[in-house]
Amino acid sequence: MKTFLSLLFICCSFLASGQKKATISGYITDARSGEALGTARIFVKELKTGAVVNNYGFYSLTIPLGTYQVEYRCDGFATVVKSVELQKDQTISIELEMAIQETKDVRVTGKRSENVTSAKLGQMELKMDQVKTLPAFMGEVDVVKTLQLLPGVSSVSEGGQGFYVRGGGPDQNLVLLDEGVVYNAAHLFGFFSVFNSDAINSVNLIKGGMPANYGGRLSSVLEVNMNEGNLKKFKVKGGIGVISSRLTVEGPLKKDRGSFVVSARRTYIDILAKAVISDTSPFAGSGYFFYDLNAKLNYKLTDKDRIYLSAYYGKDIFSFKDNNGGFKVEMPWGNGIAALRWNHLFNSKLFLNTTLSYSDYNFEFASSQDEFRVALTSGIRDYSAKVDFSYFPNPKHRIKWGGIYTYHDFTPTSLSAQNDTVTFNTGSAQHLYSHETAIYALDEFDVNEALRINAGLRYSTFAHVGPFDRYIKGDGISTPDSVVKYDRNDVIAFYQGLEPRLSFRYLLPDNSSIKAGYAYNYQYVHLVTLSAVSLPTDIWFPTTDQAKPEQGFQTSIGYFRNFDKDRYEASVEVYYKGMKNLIEFKEGALPGDNVNDNTDNLLVYGDGWAYGAEFFLKKTEGAFTGWIGYTWAKTERRFPDINEGNIYPAKYDRRHDLTLVGTYKLNDTWTFGASFIYATGNTLTLPASWYVQDQNLLFQYGPRNSTRMAPYHRLDLSATRYGKAYKTRTDPATGQEIQVKKAARSNWSFSVYNVYNRLNPFFLYVDNDGDFMSGNFSLSVKQVSLFPIIPSVTWNFEF
Amino acid sequence: MELRILKYLSFSFAVATLWSCTKEVQIDIPGYKEQLVVDGRIETGQPAIVLLSKSSNVYSSTNYESYLNSFVDDAIVVLSNGTQTDTLTKICTDDLPPGLEQVAAGIFGIPAEILVNLHLCAYVSLNMLGEEGKTYTLQISHQGKQYQASSKILTPIVPDSLYWKPEGNFTDRGFSWAKLSDAANTADAYLWEVKYLQDPQFSKTFNPYFNDEFFNGLTFEFGYENPMSFNDPNGNEAYRGFYKLGDTIVVKLSKIGGKEYNYFEKKYNQIYSGGSPFAVPTNIPTNIEGGALGIWVAYAPWIDTLVCQ
Repeated sequence: MKTFLSLLFICCSFLASGQKKATISGYITDARSGEALGTARIFVKELKTGAVVNNYGFYSLTIPLGTYQVEYRCDGFATVVKSVELQKDQTISIELEMAIQETKDVRVTGKRSENVTSAKLGQMELKMDQVKTLPAFMGEVDVVKTLQLLPGVSSVSEGGQGFYVRGGGPDQNLVLLDEGVVYNAAHLFGFFSVFNSDAINSVNLIKGGMPANYGGRLSSVLEVNMNEGNLKKFKVKGGIGVISSRLTVEGPLKKDRGSFVVSARRTYIDILAKAVISDTSPFAGSGYFFYDLNAKLNYKLTDKDRIYLSAYYGKDIFSFKDNNGGFKVEMPWGNGIAALRWNHLFNSKLFLNTTLSYSDYNFEFASSQDEFRVALTSGIRDYSAKVDFSYFPNPKHRIKWGGIYTYHDFTPTSLSAQNDTVTFNTGSAQHLYSHETAIYALDEFDVNEALRINAGLRYSTFAHVGPFDRYIKGDGISTPDSVVKYDRNDVIAFYQGLEPRLSFRYLLPDNSSIKAGYAYNYQYVHLVTLSAVSLPTDIWFPTTDQAKPEQGFQTSIGYFRNFDKDRYEASVEVYYKGMKNLIEFKEGALPGDNVNDNTDNLLVYGDGWAYGAEFFLKKTEGAFTGWIGYTWAKTERRFPDINEGNIYPAKYDRRHDLTLVGTYKLNDTWTFGASFIYATGNTLTLPASWYVQDQNLLFQYGPRNSTRMAPYHRLDLSATRYGKAYKTRTDPATGQEIQVKKAARSNWSFSVYNVYNRLNPFFLYVDNDGDFMSGNFSLSVKQVSLFPIIPSVTWNFEF
Repeated sequence: MELRILKYLSFSFAVATLWSCTKEVQIDIPGYKEQLVVDGRIETGQPAIVLLSKSSNVYSSTNYESYLNSFVDDAIVVLSNGTQTDTLTKICTDDLPPGLEQVAAGIFGIPAEILVNLHLCAYVSLNMLGEEGKTYTLQISHQGKQYQASSKILTPIVPDSLYWKPEGNFTDRGFSWAKLSDAANTADAYLWEVKYLQDPQFSKTFNPYFNDEFFNGLTFEFGYENPMSFNDPNGNEAYRGFYKLGDTIVVKLSKIGGKEYNYFEKKYNQIYSGGSPFAVPTNIPTNIEGGALGIWVAYAPWIDTLVCQ
């Protein structure tokens, strides 16, 4: 390790040496709030070179001594051009003002040509102001729902949790909220994400060409950054909707030095249900709600040191009571996340971010009927420490290195049961402990004006440690189970691997480029699911002596081109992804208790692959903006112990996926939005035949995932009516009328979900009706659909 | 316990269907192939009885005639116990030996008066009865295909005691109870059945097959409900599941092998999950070699009588 770091420093020193140069560095922030602009960049006209800020708004550019016109740009903000006489290192921090928007021709500056010039492959950034103009389900703006409108990203179905990127499972996406891992990003079985739009600043999705500073997942990284809080003044914003409301308060702790933001949200379906279900109803007391709370503090300790404390806590609570039958169910689940970060600037070229984070996901199911009570819990808890260095030796090199350590505590399934005063022996809760580490280094460098390369290497390790009881299953009758006991910190299994990452961009004439990438990844945590749809009951499980780490590679190549002075962005990307050691439950497996068994005794392992082509055309400017995305893809699996070893389609295999998204700004008052999605139906396994044994009707299932549901398609529409942002006043000095920005602003957001009331399939099942032995029996295939046309209205306010 | 877990999966299923819109669809379900279904059993002191039928496409007709037409009567079935071999005799319902009507009705689940007018056949080992400790191998020839399965009659387990006690506020209704001491060094699996003294056939309780995963080597007591009460259309709903004070019942505890238990465990998983998409699709693992479905099972029964008092 020492040798590796020494070599890196020698390399960096070499890169830094040469002709007489100086460094300009600093932060680019929003003039209104003082918050960092994580997508800003600077550009030096004379040298035709520039730099991009990091997530904290910090930039550094080392260039030859001289006098330059330096442009500070950010999408949606007015560009600032500053004359810089560079004779020595300089710190220049800039506040950018919002761009003045013309009604009919909204022209924003900043990253217009990023689509072509950036070396980022398969990366998408979502802008919250654009997300907020799109149709919202039940009035709740949702970033994950919007991500699912991008090519290569899909939801399994309405009601399915998580999202699926280029043929990978939902657990193969690393979801980070201010660098804390989110293990379940869904509320209400996936209809809402845990990300409260008022608390979110930016969203960045990496679906291919994952840089070396990210790891631990095979498919993608979703990086969600919370608002930092207004450094200049107190602000309140929120929304009141049909089924939920939210409120955000932010302001300075100390002006221009520290700030806070607190954001809360709650649905009130349960309260509405109470009004509908009378106290005498057998179902009185049944209901569902979720709430979440985001909070963040940041404080500038010195010009070189800044700390951030971010926290998230959210819970879904579902309860069902059948008072007549004495049956009761309580099902809570949720995440708790905290991250403490410290930014330190060693000098104008070297930036450090240190993160301590905690993440907890827990699912519980408690049921009682008369005197019988059963409770089931599962969850995962992480403690992480991470350091990331960013080094900017010269405009041609952007170097990063760092490391991460995570301590995992898994509780795959813990069951307890009681009948009156008798407690059943369901075994004690099994915890699985593990240490995961990784170090990485990467350099994004310009070989020449046309060729930019991002090369990196990541080395990761994983150790499954005791205490742990390994149950070895006997043959069920003559050979009893046996057990191997491991003490605390005994190493039960150890894995390690090198993960090379490489991507490049080659600029072509006519504002176009070719980009290609290769990434190899290890994944040490797995989500195993029992059902055809993803539910909170899915179990997080670590790599063990039996469950090997998932490994995968992705290679992709794309052509990117902008048209009409960057008003239109277009791209075509093709990819191939190979995966091994994927995990599924055995056919017929049913994890139930902790007695004499381990969850991984119920698992089987196999391979998968996915390939596809993604087409994307986006209009970025003007009164009308939006995009068209189309994906052709194929995703398959092969498990020796499933489907008799034959290849079968993954449950989220979608051949065609088309999305059309558009917003139209009619005037300062009205903005309209529309989105349409068409996707090939998902696959599932249904009984192909029936038979009778001992007077019981039984089913024989067809090949795994051989049935394909009807296609999914849906049109959503929205209209947002903005109140006047400015009011007219008479200037007492001049006597002239002037426009003054109103302190309080509001808008009404109207949306219609599923405009033409399409009954999209949630799942299918074979229904049997009547009594088989009395001759009035029938079998039929039924399709369950969740949401018909749903209009909603939300009032949003800000002051 | 796993059936309890199935409850929450079934519950999720029920909630999803309750809160949603459901419609019938016609959708392609590939993979259907007609398979022979074996439903065979032997127990100590009893002849082997084997019913053969065929599986049907999920979209095929499910009326009574289809069910009756699914039975197979053109197979050759041979049973051996290692020393003896017996070709099973085909006995059909339209030609039953006198006095077997009620037994046949219990086997097929069809009232005797209807059954005698139908042509449904069972294969019976008239020359061989089950013996404890012997392994019975079944060989079936049907339409050019060969199928084979083996099952052993194990040593039966005798419960420590049987008793009845009133339940809750009732004084004359209650569950019957048993006290069982499980052997510590073996993994054991059981079938629990019960009948009224006068009934021709035993009935299975709600969760009839169980193994000793939770009580290996322990002595424990458990109650069981009255399954016959659910078949009485005129019975009082409030009394369903209970035995009445004064009832005389016959209890049967049969020990079965591991593969056989695995079949029944998965079978009941499938029945209770009811085709729910929230459960892993479960094909029931047969012990029949050659591509057939179903089970060939040897039971080691212990039988006793209990007067509910």
